[in-house]
Amino acid sequence: MSIRFHRLRKSDEDRVAMSRRMFLMTTTMAGITTNAMMGGTAFAGSGVLNEAQSSSLLRMVQDIYPHPDVLQLSHYEAIAATVMKNADADADVAKSLTDGLGQIDAKAQELFGVPYVEIEDPDAREGLLRHFQNEGFFQGVRWTAYFGIYDNKDIWPLLGYEGASAEHGGYIDRGFSDITFVPEGPTLEERMAEVQS
Amino acid sequence: MAQFDLNDDSVVVIIGSGAGGGTLANELAQKGIKSVVLEAGKRFDISDIENDEWTMFQKISWLDKRYSGGGWHGSVNHPTLPAWIVKGYGGSTIHWAGVALRFKDFEFKTRSTYGAIDGANVEDWPIDLEEMTPWYEKAELKMGVTGKTTGMPHLPWNNGFRVLAEGCRRTGRSDYRSGPMAINSVERDDRPACQQIGFCMQGCAIGAKWSTMYTELPRAEDTGKCEIRTDAMVLRIEHDSQGKANAVVYADKDGNQHRQLARVVCVAGNSIESPRMLLNSASAMFPDGLANSSGQVGKNYMNHTTGGVYAVLPEKVRMYRGTSVAGIVGDEVYHDAARGFAGGYYLEFLSLGLPFMAAFLEPGNAGWGRGVAQAMEAYDRMSGVWVLGEDLAQERNAITLHDSEVDQHGLPVPIVSKTPHNNDYEMTAHMYETSTQIYEAVGATDVYELPAYPATHNMGTNRMHADPSKGVVNAYGQAHDIDNLFVSDGSQFTSSAACNPTLTIVALAIRQAEYIAQEMNAQNI
Ligand SMILES: Cc1cc2nc3c(=O)[nH]c(=O)nc-3n(C[C@H](O)[C@H](O)[C@H](O)COP(=O)(O)OP(=O)(O)OC[C@H]3O[C@@H](n4cnc5c(N)ncnc54)[C@H](O)[C@@H]3O)c2cc1C
Ligand code: SF4
Repeated sequence: MSIRFHRLRKSDEDRVAMSRRMFLMTTTMAGITTNAMMGGTAFAGSGVLNEAQSSSLLRMVQDIYPHPDVLQLSHYEAIAATVMKNADADADVAKSLTDGLGQIDAKAQELFGVPYVEIEDPDAREGLLRHFQNEGFFQGVRWTAYFGIYDNKDIWPLLGYEGASAEHGGYIDRGFSDITFVPEGPTLEERMAEVQS
Repeated sequence: MAQFDLNDDSVVVIIGSGAGGGTLANELAQKGIKSVVLEAGKRFDISDIENDEWTMFQKISWLDKRYSGGGWHGSVNHPTLPAWIVKGYGGSTIHWAGVALRFKDFEFKTRSTYGAIDGANVEDWPIDLEEMTPWYEKAELKMGVTGKTTGMPHLPWNNGFRVLAEGCRRTGRSDYRSGPMAINSVERDDRPACQQIGFCMQGCAIGAKWSTMYTELPRAEDTGKCEIRTDAMVLRIEHDSQGKANAVVYADKDGNQHRQLARVVCVAGNSIESPRMLLNSASAMFPDGLANSSGQVGKNYMNHTTGGVYAVLPEKVRMYRGTSVAGIVGDEVYHDAARGFAGGYYLEFLSLGLPFMAAFLEPGNAGWGRGVAQAMEAYDRMSGVWVLGEDLAQERNAITLHDSEVDQHGLPVPIVSKTPHNNDYEMTAHMYETSTQIYEAVGATDVYELPAYPATHNMGTNRMHADPSKGVVNAYGQAHDIDNLFVSDGSQFTSSAACNPTLTIVALAIRQAEYIAQEMNAQNI
């Protein structure tokens, strides 16, 4: 959202590790359809996370993309369930997730004297999570949340996006130029005159 | 469709089926010249096009291993996606938005106009606007570009552009219009008029926008003079003992290698793969890569000085309705050293769908949290522009080969390095300022500045120069070192100019086809 040209370079080792992750996140994950991702797993049914860890995960998903007035808790639960399902399926993912959640709580205790989920100020929670944003587990959760919200056809209408239009004949007769707070564009005659003069 | 034998050494081999390769293939075919097009990607047709950003990205992008390098933010935030381009029948003309602008005269004469610039490698083209004008006209007729050449009116204005245009009017601008676009505003050339579907950059589902996928390529095949082999990844170009290009080695989809003989070889794999191919074709006779006696192959990589600006308006805009790039502001395209930078820039209205907006608003690891979420809740009140301006050639901005990592074909992975020049920082600041003023004039409550996206315009890595020690190809895209080797894509560009490159790529390909035909007839090649 701002210019980032001057951001510091990571060490080469970090970069290679991150490259791999980002490659997976920006390309492989893009292919996962929201349905496949949401898989219908019941929220509480993790074989990997205990109840406290599950609550932390759910809080984390909400803090990553907070839309309290737009989304329901169930939207976030579906994302947390996807994260847990992925952790159930892969021991490495599970370990980095549980370790990561542990580190978040440890940092929360250090800074605020309470576990992460008990911090009431949303800014403080976001600030806490910023410490972990370059970690693989964090970005794994973040991209799952990204796809679960912004690439989710069920959520699009809640955020004012209408999705595919070709099957409805496009917007030519459906409001491509229907706003009223600025003047209309030139008429066909005016546009014709412009290119034929 | 024609089928040529691997040992047929009378064919022109064209590598890549995008704007450059696709156009060249059809132009040669219409002249009766035989060609084999080798295209690394799959055969797509219009039924593959879906109105979904990530689905199309996943389906048609070039996702072979690549690295971003240099000081631009993408080496951290897009480490394996330096560029967003297509691998497939039609190349990046499937994704492209359709903006079809000509260079200005001074943009062909950057060295004479800007002078020598510290840290940059700016040169003049060996051609100018006067020479190119008739070729631009042919390109506009071929592609169906709205404007005076075709007489097709520019497109109707959509919501998002109307907001931008009103901001332009209120800030005293005059050069803002909904064209020239290579999108039919009326039925033309057996293709329908634009239905304002949106998703132009996911491919036009009805074919209103020009793409070689459903124009040049099938038309070339229909002549019986052109064979297009898809899933054919060129590994290297070979030469004979005289140093003439004579064969092209490629891998099919099962990894089996084939060797197609050739009378002439034309490279049009876009500005990352084209120099990579030449570098990978190094031999005892050409130890630094083919056509590289100047040392300029892979250097001077340009992709425009760019960024994005999205403004939140007090009322709904729904910018995604209708043509993705619905209008162009040209007031800032002039050179005035007093502005603190060389060259000019355009503002182009550009709608992003919700998924891409959320991904690119703040790319990289920091792109989450309340700031991003709040911005996204204003998505349907946004209008925005892609700003793009002259990117100065610099030797350090280059395509180089990784010294240990290889791709699935065993070829060294390309590293695409881009470090902005001070000129870019100055220009970018000006671009953001201008865009913000325009949107504030029309009541914007928030304005978001986005850094450059993965590059869609790639240029300069096999550049033209009259002097063989300063460039790779001559004014016809013919390699200075090897008469029957041509570069037929944007890597020929000597300078980037401010405008989108494709019209110029197509105009150069039409002109090159004419030259190749003439030289073949004269038995010079
Ligand atoms: C999203 C997007 C929007 C754009 N919008 C515009 C616009 O509005 N206006 C504009 O002017 N330009 C636009 N562009 C840029 C435009 O698409 C390119 O300038 C143009 O397509 C480049 O043509 P080309 O022939 O150099 O390469 P491409 O069109 O990219 O074609 C290259 C082809 O070569 C193939 N290839 C590469 N290497 C090999 C190999 N080793 N063997 C075999 N085949 C190979 C590739 O698979 C590809 O199909 C846009 C691009 C994108 C991605
Ligand atoms: S807006 Fe027009 S050009 Fe763009 S995809 Fe839709 S019909 Fe095609």
